[in-house]
Amino acid sequence: MKLTRRQLVAGAGAAALGAAGIYELVDRLSGSSSPTAVSTVPMGGPRPPEQHVLDGMPVVVENGVEVVVPPRHHLVVTATLKEPDLAKAKQQLEDALLSLESRYEQTPAGLGLTVAWGLPYFERYVPAAFERHVPHDRRADKPALLATRTFPSDPDGTILERNDVALLIRSDRLEHIEAARKTLLDDLGLFEPASLRRGFVGGDLPRKLAVAAGVPGAYLIPHNSELFLGFTSTQKAGLGPRRIVNFETLGLVDLRGGYFRGGTHMHLSHIFEDLEAWYLNFDFQERVDTAFRPGLRVPMNAQVVPQGPKLVSSAEEVTRTFDRIARFGHSASIQTTSRLPADHVGEDGTLYVKGTAIPQRADFNTLDNPFAWSADPKRDALVSGAAAGVHFVVFNPSSDDFHRNRLAMDGVLPDGTTLRLQPQARGQGFNSVLRTTHRQNFLVPPRRHRSFPLAEL
Amino acid sequence: MVRAAICAAAAAVVLAASASAAPARHAAAACPGAWKPGWVTLAGKVGIPVYCPTWMPNPLDAQIGGEWEDIYSIGKDKSYLVSFLSHGDMGSGDVHVNFRGYPGRTTIPKCQTVAIEGKRVIRGTTPCFADANGTFSVGNIKATAYTVNQDADQWHVLYAWRHNGSLYTVSEHVIPPYTYAQVVNNLHKLLRSLVLVDPKR
Repeated sequence: MKLTRRQLVAGAGAAALGAAGIYELVDRLSGSSSPTAVSTVPMGGPRPPEQHVLDGMPVVVENGVEVVVPPRHHLVVTATLKEPDLAKAKQQLEDALLSLESRYEQTPAGLGLTVAWGLPYFERYVPAAFERHVPHDRRADKPALLATRTFPSDPDGTILERNDVALLIRSDRLEHIEAARKTLLDDLGLFEPASLRRGFVGGDLPRKLAVAAGVPGAYLIPHNSELFLGFTSTQKAGLGPRRIVNFETLGLVDLRGGYFRGGTHMHLSHIFEDLEAWYLNFDFQERVDTAFRPGLRVPMNAQVVPQGPKLVSSAEEVTRTFDRIARFGHSASIQTTSRLPADHVGEDGTLYVKGTAIPQRADFNTLDNPFAWSADPKRDALVSGAAAGVHFVVFNPSSDDFHRNRLAMDGVLPDGTTLRLQPQARGQGFNSVLRTTHRQNFLVPPRRHRSFPLAEL
Repeated sequence: MVRAAICAAAAAVVLAASASAAPARHAAAACPGAWKPGWVTLAGKVGIPVYCPTWMPNPLDAQIGGEWEDIYSIGKDKSYLVSFLSHGDMGSGDVHVNFRGYPGRTTIPKCQTVAIEGKRVIRGTTPCFADANGTFSVGNIKATAYTVNQDADQWHVLYAWRHNGSLYTVSEHVIPPYTYAQVVNNLHKLLRSLVLVDPKR
């Protein structure tokens, strides 16, 4: 019996779940110690205008630091479009999204859905409207959505992807993720999936799952780590506040006609993490030096390190330290571009104080190698067996803003200083233990235009 | 190419299997006859008793001057490093075990670090063994595990203990065919197998 294309894709998704059966251990391994997400938004009730905002994430205090507890399960689907009747497809997708929203509240206990669109979609299907409406980054004097680029520490062969769309699906409940995947992929039939990317965050899951999967270095991950590398990255002060990455908030972007007001930019990448190199070559103090800033003193084996607005490193400080010891920390170098240089009042009257974090990270650890499933396993170098990594998802006000952050991670600071080290040198933050395999920039429209944006014009 | 990969994989399996099949000794008897002369000589040169293993991870033995000896070094301070190494064939991996002793000192030594930035060379020091990660006790040995180690012990798991005013270590490289867990298991077997060899005997 021949399978239809849809059955084939559905089967591939199911097979990926099977192959990635390790993820099914998540609920069993996480126990009941995780804080429960708070229901703040009723099913079918009003939603924020932004797609990227996920309400109801619990906040706990660890070592005196407020830490946001992100959803436990994550799935990213990248896809191209089947030749669509755009008007019809727009209505179908919106109906499907509304049906999911009527079933699940928009919290980690329910379902977080974000539909992001790549440059290929805009260029191929709605080029004229895109040219008229794409927000313009005033600082870069370029569109807010740029073609994806590589960075100095990226290895040769990093794939710059050209997907039309990415679906970011987040929940504490694996069955909610699966329901969304089925609704948006199998039932709709609008998308040709290119990849499925799965993962998890928090509790003791990184260690437990890595050990269960037999990943090298797994036993060296500290107990109760939020992420493989042993430090908590979701402290509240280290994440951008609710609307700071909206195109309109910081004034970085000219909204032109305002079509994309309430929208933002998303970068998606996959990065392998060499856990053995991290834990067998860097002692705890060097891991602190590397992840945060050289010489930072924190209690032995601390996982939560304060990163508040008043503890931010400047480009001058990073350069001075580098000149002395030929090393800079990951957080310190990125903070030169990722934190507000001065107080700012958003257009809705919200005060964002100097040193506030801008990017909203939504990254999650994975055992995908590099994806749970790929439509082009050869191109994506898909390998059976688990590998430690991170699916890095981050929202910034524009592509250029993300690029500035990522360049700072490689020692290219916003004041024009370049801290010269060999790419992936040991003194260059995390880079010596990271290997990026895939990248792509996306535009996240506001909720009202999330389905096939600009197609109605 | 494929055949080589299969052979390598098979070799790795055999290595791992034979090591794990080796009997665990809870009470070491005596330094094996063929190995003993080398360890007695070493003890004589450094002036303190040294620990001779009676078990080694496959395929190594601990015969100083034998097939698997890699490093035999005694410093001006009488500290010693004796290393046994097997380079696996066709990518099957390495098996590398180091024994150290520091006569008359019990503190963790410092190792030199060198960072090169352009034309600048920045030198510093760091503890040779760091990131204590649990303990393992057997007989009179109470050893602390260290997971971040320097120089010949880099990328090794190392156990260090003190005896009669001196510091001793044994370490093994974390590299296929042995996983981290297998290396820790090997080191526990090694620690169980150690016997003291006196300089005079």
